[in-house]
Amino acid sequence: MAQLRQDYQQFVKLDTEIVVAGPEKAEAFRDYWAKERLPFIGLPDPEHHVLKLYGQEVKLFKLGRLPAQMLIDKSGYVRFVHYGHSMSDIPPNQEIIDLIAMNM
Amino acid sequence: MSRVELNTSAPNFTLNDFNGKSVSLADFAGKKNVVVVFNRGFF
Repeated sequence: MAQLRQDYQQFVKLDTEIVVAGPEKAEAFRDYWAKERLPFIGLPDPEHHVLKLYGQEVKLFKLGRLPAQMLIDKSGYVRFVHYGHSMSDIPPNQEIIDLIAMNM
Repeated sequence: MSRVELNTSAPNFTLNDFNGKSVSLADFAGKKNVVVVFNRGFF
């Protein structure tokens, strides 16, 4: 998340918004956003509506969810999708930034 | 579990952000690209 904050302006310059969804409640989001000074949109999804819709995988026995990232372009099409295989399996922001820049 | 496929139309969603403001994927159509990040949890 710190990395996303650091790269946020690059996304903004490319007409791109970042939306972070997670299973925590609004209060937990609000506290975390304030503490980390995050500039992007945070969507609490404690009932897992979007998490399920987008197929985020839950590792029951590891007590957590696996990270996933998607890029959706202005026409609503998925242009990048990455479902993590482990907690630390997150693609570098630069990969997504390059992809957006290439398609503009 | 179903997953989102590359080069297909992304399923729309609407949720309230942590301040209670409604946010839909469709709000960004024609205006902005959106990076959707599913976090593993902050804590």
